[in-house]
This record gives sequence, C-alpha cells and structure tokens, in this order.
Amino acid sequence: MNTLVASQATADDRWPEATYRLSEALQERTRSDSVHRPAPDEAEFEDLLFRKLGRRGWGRVLQFRKYYTPGWGTGVEKPLSPKALGGFSRFLGQVAFPKDKEPSVFLTDRGGLEVVWEDANSKSIQLEFTSSGVEFYHEAKDEEGFIRFEEIPSLVGRIATL
Amino acid sequence: MPISAQEDIVRAICSDKWDGQRLSPSLFVGKNISVSRLAIVPLDDHWEMFRSHVEKPPERRLERIAEINVGKLQTIGGEQAPSVHLTVEPKPEVWNQAHAEIPQNITRGLANKILPQLKFHERPKSL
Repeated sequence: MNTLVASQATADDRWPEATYRLSEALQERTRSDSVHRPAPDEAEFEDLLFRKLGRRGWGRVLQFRKYYTPGWGTGVEKPLSPKALGGFSRFLGQVAFPKDKEPSVFLTDRGGLEVVWEDANSKSIQLEFTSSGVEFYHEAKDEEGFIRFEEIPSLVGRIATL
Repeated sequence: MPISAQEDIVRAICSDKWDGQRLSPSLFVGKNISVSRLAIVPLDDHWEMFRSHVEKPPERRLERIAEINVGKLQTIGGEQAPSVHLTVEPKPEVWNQAHAEIPQNITRGLANKILPQLKFHERPKSL
C-alpha cells in the first residue's frame, strides 16, 4: 500500500514544511519488479516442447504454466517450479524419445513435471523434475533414484541405451 | 484408528494426472495421500463432491475415479522390498466426511505396484 509519512515539524514553524519519506514497505522491491516476462527464447522453448512432446504434451505444459497457479487443486498443491521447468528444458534439449513412444507429461502435486514413456520392451521409464533434481524410475529393473540437475547429461546417456 | 482392511477407498484422477493415454504414477507417490471411503459416501455421490472441490482451475477436469481395497493396498506394501505397512487413517473434512489419508511415504517404485491394481470408474456422461 502506498503511504506517505510526514515527519514531525518543529514547534516554532508557523507553516511547517512537511518533508516526506517513503515508508519501509515502499523502500523494498515492489511486486511489479517480479512480474514474469517471457524469456527472449520462449519461442525456442515452445518449439522444443512441440518437437519432443508432440502437440498433446506441448499443450499440457503450457496449460500447467498458465493456469495452475498457487491454490490449484485442493489448495495444497504447488505451482510448477521454475527450477523444475529449467531442468526439464535442459533434458528435452538433449534427449531423443523413441519415435513411436510419444511421452506423457504430468504436473505433480509438489510442483514437479513428470514425464513418462516406454522403452523398447514396453517397460515404463519415469522422470520427475522437481525443484532440486530429477527422480527416476525404470520398470524393467524396478530401479529408482534421484540425481542432481548437473547429472542430466549422464541420465540422457543412460536412457539412450535402454 | 486405521480403517478396516475390508473397506474400499477411492482417489480422484484429474486432468493433470491423466492425459487420455497414461496415468501419472505420482498419483500415489508421497506422504499423506488423500483418499475417500466408499463405506461413508457411495461412489455415485463422490463425483459431484470431488468435482466441486478439485476442479480448480476450471481447466483441471475430474476425469476418473480410482478404487482399491485397503487390504489389497496393504498386501502390495507388504510385498515391497523393504516392506511397507500401509494404513488408511480417517481424516474427515467439512467438504468430505469420508476423507482419509495414507500417512506412510509411498515411493515411486511402490506406487508403480499399486497403479496396476486400481479399478477405474469413468466419468458419467451426465456430468
């Protein structure tokens, strides 16, 4: 809220010259400073989404970003984490999904992006990009684990061999 | 007190967890998974109750309802390595007196054992 605070004038000033200073709230960064602006490479990112996930996945990610704001669902679910989205973008830039296995993408309750598809033997491969890294699961080996974003290249390398 | 192994529980599946082809394994991943008891509220009444509470934003559509027996859920947990003793605890809420939670942490691996055992109910065309 914008408020002006007048300083106390001296007693012998007939027409005290009011001086003003900003209240503490106004001295801090305003909410408008953090308004999200599309990054310059937004079009490239959308193109990447479309190429790797197809029309369905592309549309779903856009919907998760645009409509699933704080308070979505029952109210306890978290909006899509920017860090999760960043990790997901890095992964998409490097991965090659099987041509006939278009992946599915989901928004998880903790604000992660989950991508699911099947390997050559129709066994499920699942990744969830969270705010802190990537949770993975491979049905063929009943193997699950967690990696940091820095390890995405090695994850992509492993996926290529499945 | 945990609910009986004889009871059946349901969980709402919305469009963020179902894309028309695959179901999100995260539906059953984590702690305090929300479920609802069919012994308290019949399945037919769950549709409107879930719709009014979970379809936010409007783009989030209630697509299906998944059902599983509590005893079956516990068997799956017991067969996991290491085994997990799953329970369902009543947590009635104003909007749903049948609300309950699974307090234990369900890993992605365990969730992948639960999903194939779910019975799915499709959204009635009248909704």
